[in-house]
Amino acid sequence: MGSRQITEKSLVMLRSLPRLSLANIRDNPGSKKNTKRGRGQHGGDKHGAGNKGSGQRQNYMRLGYETGNNPFYLRMPHEPYYKGHHHRREYPPISLLEIQKLIDTDLIDITQPIDIASIVKSGLYNFFPDKKHFGINLTDEGVDSFAAKINIEVQWASEQVIAAIEKNGGVITTAYYDPHSLFLLKNPKKFFESGQAIPRRMIPPADVIEYYTSAETRGYLADPEKISQERFRLSQKYGYELPNIENDQCYTMLCERKDPRQIFHGLEPGWVVNLKDKCILKPKDDELLQFYAS
Amino acid sequence: MALMPFRTHVMRLVAQCGNYCTLQRSMAYKSAISLETLYPNSTLKLSTPSFTPNPNEKFSGFIPLNKLEIQYSASSGPGGQHVNKVHTKVDLRFKLSEADWIPAEIRDKMIELHSNKLTKEGYLVIRSDATRTQQLNLADCLQKLRNMIRDAAVTKREPSPETEEMIRQRHLKASRLRVAMKREEALKRAERRAPTVVDL
Repeated sequence: MGSRQITEKSLVMLRSLPRLSLANIRDNPGSKKNTKRGRGQHGGDKHGAGNKGSGQRQNYMRLGYETGNNPFYLRMPHEPYYKGHHHRREYPPISLLEIQKLIDTDLIDITQPIDIASIVKSGLYNFFPDKKHFGINLTDEGVDSFAAKINIEVQWASEQVIAAIEKNGGVITTAYYDPHSLFLLKNPKKFFESGQAIPRRMIPPADVIEYYTSAETRGYLADPEKISQERFRLSQKYGYELPNIENDQCYTMLCERKDPRQIFHGLEPGWVVNLKDKCILKPKDDELLQFYAS
Repeated sequence: MALMPFRTHVMRLVAQCGNYCTLQRSMAYKSAISLETLYPNSTLKLSTPSFTPNPNEKFSGFIPLNKLEIQYSASSGPGGQHVNKVHTKVDLRFKLSEADWIPAEIRDKMIELHSNKLTKEGYLVIRSDATRTQQLNLADCLQKLRNMIRDAAVTKREPSPETEEMIRQRHLKASRLRVAMKREEALKRAERRAPTVVDL
């Protein structure tokens, strides 16, 4: 029905209906409530409180009480011991002493940058990304006897560990890897055999991006100039002469870093590594190149 | 090769891991969040900065470690074989009068403060075996040394003439109140005694 027809119909109705008066109008339902008088037949006598019991005597049972049986709100105990555990990241530890052992027994090559893949390859350390493990936590056991010049990349390191590594002329970086990248790094051969293109590494989540952007923790997203200042500050704090790394013959190796989006050294996101034919397939399409370089 | 992703084209590259890094250095992969993009004004190089002292500060906290004599020894206390074998105690000493890295006034103040603690040859000795590692004990010794130097560097500010005047007025007021109380008590005691009769 059009609006013009509605108005026509309303006017017709209005002409035929009786005149509006107090007798043919009423309040909206629920707008007026009857006031209860505490006097007379209906409001008086027990005044709505019933007979005996807690109701009449204003001695009520507490909210939730179920007259003696175990109430609903007490049936399920509150034991929040693992609350939010699935949101927490874990960093399985490896000590500086173990790293020294790996170096001394030639299980790790210190002429190349060390990252989590090299440490897992040595066989003496393992981690499980599906169990919320986000990488290596380098602990300070063996900090006094550590004597190796290395370029190491871990996921978590304390100040003392950083000092021990820099005292020996090495470089330490803390870098974030998302779980998918960690699966790749843990077993690169398996990933290359799957024939997939190398993905980009994701940026750290909000609660930890500050850790990886600060020079104090040697974050991979921090400014190297600020890191140099922090190196000096740490040498003064822990009492060692800061070795001159610019004059070191391994300076280029020590300064070698992965790009924040790179997972493997020397391999870019987007490449497909063919182990069988011993070649690498690279994308040529502009859109793909743009995506993998973003 | 069999199945290729439908948009990638083949580019046969002899990729040997040994030569790979050197090949790629000139055209290394740079993403949108590489350090060059994040810090465009930085040199992005790790260097060893030389220390430049702040002219405003008397002592900046810098200690030349080659001027200190550091010795390590075994710590005391329980711990069995480990505490006997591992030298975690740190002994740090230097000749205070010859320490040219400390500003002269602070050095003199330190000699004054710690004159009883210096050895016969004039060495200031700081020791620490508080923690289980040599590294932390050495850091503790250096912290103690810095605290000593900073305590000696503290100079008390002289109070302003207004403050001095205020303090003087307070002393005078206290004296006035004390004397007033004294006179009141004397009067009370005099009233309790028999009156001294003066025959005019």
